[in-house]
Amino acid sequence: MTDLRNAGKYYWHYLKRYWFGFLMSIILIVIATWCIVMAPTYLGRAIEDLTQYLQQWTNQAMRAKATLQPFNQTLVTYILLYIVEAIALFVASLILARVTAYSTGTMRVGLFRKLQRMRVQYFDTHRDGDILARFTSDLDNIFNAMNQALLEILLAVAQFVGLLIVMFNQNVTMAWVTMASTPITLILAAWVMHKASVAVNQQQDDIGQLNGYINEQVTGQKVLITNGLQQDSVKGFQKYNAKVRQSALTGQIWSGILNPLMQGMSLLNTAIVIFFGSWFALNGNLSTGAALALVVVFVNYAQQYYQPIMSLTSLYSMIQLAITGARRVDEVQQQPDEVNPADGRALTAIEDELKIDDVHFSYLPGKEILHGVSIQVKRGEMVALVGPTGSGKTTVMNLLNRFYDVDSGAITFDGVNIQDFELSALRQHVGIVLQDPQLFSGTIADNIRYGEPTATMDRVIDAAKQANIHDFIESLPDGYQTQVSDEQSVFSAGQKQLMSIARTILTNPQLLILDEATSNVDTVTEAKIQAAMDNVIQGRTSFVIAHRLKTILNADKIVVLKEGRIIEQGSHPELLAEDGFYAELYHNQMVFD
Amino acid sequence: MKTLMPYFKRYRVDIWVATIAVLLLVFATLWQPRLLQTIMEAIIKNDQATVLREGLLLLVLAVLGIIGGIVNTIYSARVALGVATDLRADLYAKVQSLAYADVEKFAPSNLVVRMTNDINQVQQIVMAGFQQITRIPLLFVGALILAVMTMPEQWWIIVVMMVVIILVTLVAVRRMTTYFAQTQEDIEQVNTLARENLMGIRVVKSFVQEKNEIKKFSNASDELTNVTAKIGYWFAVLMPAFFLIANVAMGVSVYIVGQNITTHPSYLAAITSFISYLMQILFAVINGGFLMTFASRAVISIGRINEVMTTTPSMTYADGPVEQIPGDIQFDHVTFTYPGDDQPTLKDVTLTIPAGSMLGIVGATGSGKTTLAQLIARLYDPDEGRVLIGGVDVRELPEKTLRKTVAYVLQRSTLFSGTIAENLRQVKPDAEAQHMAWAADIAQAAEFIDQLPQTYDAPVEERSQNFSGGQKQRLSITRGVIANPEILILDDATSALDARSEKLVQEALDRELKTTTTIVIAEKIASIIRADQIIVLDDGQIVGHGTHHDLLKTSTVYQMIYQTQKAREEGLND
Repeated sequence: MTDLRNAGKYYWHYLKRYWFGFLMSIILIVIATWCIVMAPTYLGRAIEDLTQYLQQWTNQAMRAKATLQPFNQTLVTYILLYIVEAIALFVASLILARVTAYSTGTMRVGLFRKLQRMRVQYFDTHRDGDILARFTSDLDNIFNAMNQALLEILLAVAQFVGLLIVMFNQNVTMAWVTMASTPITLILAAWVMHKASVAVNQQQDDIGQLNGYINEQVTGQKVLITNGLQQDSVKGFQKYNAKVRQSALTGQIWSGILNPLMQGMSLLNTAIVIFFGSWFALNGNLSTGAALALVVVFVNYAQQYYQPIMSLTSLYSMIQLAITGARRVDEVQQQPDEVNPADGRALTAIEDELKIDDVHFSYLPGKEILHGVSIQVKRGEMVALVGPTGSGKTTVMNLLNRFYDVDSGAITFDGVNIQDFELSALRQHVGIVLQDPQLFSGTIADNIRYGEPTATMDRVIDAAKQANIHDFIESLPDGYQTQVSDEQSVFSAGQKQLMSIARTILTNPQLLILDEATSNVDTVTEAKIQAAMDNVIQGRTSFVIAHRLKTILNADKIVVLKEGRIIEQGSHPELLAEDGFYAELYHNQMVFD
Repeated sequence: MKTLMPYFKRYRVDIWVATIAVLLLVFATLWQPRLLQTIMEAIIKNDQATVLREGLLLLVLAVLGIIGGIVNTIYSARVALGVATDLRADLYAKVQSLAYADVEKFAPSNLVVRMTNDINQVQQIVMAGFQQITRIPLLFVGALILAVMTMPEQWWIIVVMMVVIILVTLVAVRRMTTYFAQTQEDIEQVNTLARENLMGIRVVKSFVQEKNEIKKFSNASDELTNVTAKIGYWFAVLMPAFFLIANVAMGVSVYIVGQNITTHPSYLAAITSFISYLMQILFAVINGGFLMTFASRAVISIGRINEVMTTTPSMTYADGPVEQIPGDIQFDHVTFTYPGDDQPTLKDVTLTIPAGSMLGIVGATGSGKTTLAQLIARLYDPDEGRVLIGGVDVRELPEKTLRKTVAYVLQRSTLFSGTIAENLRQVKPDAEAQHMAWAADIAQAAEFIDQLPQTYDAPVEERSQNFSGGQKQRLSITRGVIANPEILILDDATSALDARSEKLVQEALDRELKTTTTIVIAEKIASIIRADQIIVLDDGQIVGHGTHHDLLKTSTVYQMIYQTQKAREEGLND
């Protein structure tokens, strides 16, 4: 129920601006429905006219007076009604198609906008695929439901109400007869739908598991083959496959049964109307012509009566998906935004020093990762962070440009807490080079000037030269205009890393954070990266998260982290002399013999 | 169709039942207007007995319709699910019988799509097939015949109606096809932008590019919105147009009946049934159109499934009992080119690795290190020359013997979801606690496994995301050594380990697996410095061969690699 309410709020938020369009389409649909409901009465009247004509014509005395004029007129009205209906329906569909396309467009951009404002924590704790699914399958479900359901729901409701009005206008007794079977049908439909939704959920779960298994096994095919596990894999597969067979069968049956059931009920209802109608025609006090017309009309109504109910039930699963979709998209919309100070200070430069002062931090409440870390860096110094996996090196980086905020303690630039700076100003002056370089589709030039899209080509080339990647780019047939696409990248990890260094150099940041790439780079490229890093560090305040010690041997200060605490701090010679953790690390990694 | 035939045969009975049920349903649907007509006539003639009799018949018809519909649904589902699951099982078994080169040719992610989405398409179309495909033509033909029987003079109205509908559809479809293609492109563009943004969210934020990203995304999204709106407009035309055409046709036919009523007075009661038949023809045409588009997609899927099913594995194994063979390896003038490449990746490699010794392989990215190792594990076969284990060509070894002899630990470590113990038992089904502890000790994995609350029964999640890179590698090595293989290949398998752990792993390997032939591929000289022999690969050829000390003297490539790894330190010591 809360799902329904939240979904309602969500749709209201995006659809309320189209109120005029909705109003217009509702009016048009009412008109169309009126035509649809009225048309059969004209058909009935036409038959009545025709019957009368035939009776007069058969009677020799009356034959001269017999005329088809009323019949023809009624028929013209009958066709006119359908023309009006078609036009009204066309315009209403046009409006709703527009509303659907543009409102889902707004939802899509709205979701994307929201993602840009959200905290990094959300992205770190949710899988990319899951967030992406909200753009793809959830928004798709919403679109499909609106595309098909919006018109049909309005139409069905209008048709149903219209039909009731007309039926009761024509003949109250017959109207009640036509409606008599409704409660039973609805109960039956609700029961089948409930069964179907339970079965389909189970089916989706099982299919999800099967797909997960196939995906995992086949992407690990190399391991399967080298360990000779193919037959075991097939055996494991059969379990999942058998489960899907069972649950999908149940799911298909329950969801497939609804339609024939409703169709059958509609036919049953028609039979009831015929029985009662003919009895009514023969035993009532109506003329044969009028009685016949009444039966014809109500047979027609009986056949139409279940149509709105049937179309609503067939839309049920689609609507269900749209409600779930809205909930999942709304879930993202409800996430907290990044905190930007009300009137943040501008940041131009770090004049004197950067201080990390007794910082405590935890990703999850109660699981502290940093336990009182303090580091002091003078302008222009290079600090290297070393330590085993999980020691908190990356966490320090996450705090420096406020991907996360400290629990207690403070990070200050020249004595000003970084939380007091305008968030965008802070980040513009803190440059990062990530371990896993991420490029965007576009040209190489676009990627290098990513941080400053207006930068001139000269500056792009200059940055590439400093990053040791200019020669490589020039060697490509399209040079700087080469298209980068992340899907089928022709660039090696090392080349990507160099481009991301060029990208950072171009923005000329005050503070630089480098997360060194760990592996998969051959030694020659690694030497290039090394030189590029040296270029970019030159004269800048910088933090380097080092995985290979040789990077940081000439750091001004080496900070050794272990389990969230600083255990050693000093220059390379000082730390060697101390003969502690760093010294051991150094000897293990660097000394070959 | 030929692909599905054998599967249909297994469900012959279900198919018969489904078909009979659908015939029942069609019969009920078609007979109903006819019956209504009789009833109308009876009412006119004041013939109460007929009304009662025919009315009861209508009730029976309704019940028959429900039964037919339900039985048809059940048995169609049985056929659809049966065919789909059997086909998927065979497809999966087929994929597992393929050689690695075949899997690579298709690309694993592509194979997954064939086993999931494509099979699903087949299931849907089979289901729809037994529910609709027999029904729609039957309904169409039946309604057509009955309509003509009801009012033989008016056959031309039906023809005109259908021609106009088809013309309208053709015009609309032509326009919409281009829009549909456009939509596909726009959707891909929107998804690419969203995915890139998500993956690079730290870059976006640190370069303060949120506004530009929104602008890029909005532009792409707006394009998509405009095209979907256009498609919507065409659909808005289509449906009202269909019904208008049908309704006008009805009006015209009623008019004609009226003008000639004196010659055919019985047509008075036939009007309603004729109109019903016209409506049924219209629905049959519309549904037929939907099914056609649906079926064309399924045909593509069946083609893609068939492509896998008809692939013959490019590698077969010799038959024979599982044997214990010695772990010495020989490369005898081996040349290998990857399928689709122009240049060989390995050129005339000759090498002997004695049992129980250690070989180190170094070289730049793309020099052929991994390829060489993969030939030992027979992931590929050489184009020329031979690879021998224990003096026997690997192509003549039974699969079980080969897999038992060679353990290959990959650079990108893959564990399967389940528990740690399950992963280890895959390689050594009878592994006891002490075996696992022994292997984990060697791989330096024991220290973190023992700290897990469930130790060896701790869960491994999908993509083993609950373990860090270093932990994954250590678990992979544990799996590699647990069966105490004759040959162990470590393909850059310690890259994410810190230096101390890597050293401990090497020491443990030396100590515990004395008789195992070990092949280590590494970027870091430190990883292979103690090897009995080291080869330096460059562009698929062995350009240096010897111990660390030999190579420092003889190989310039080796010296260069050593210098880049050593340079900083020496610079500092000056």
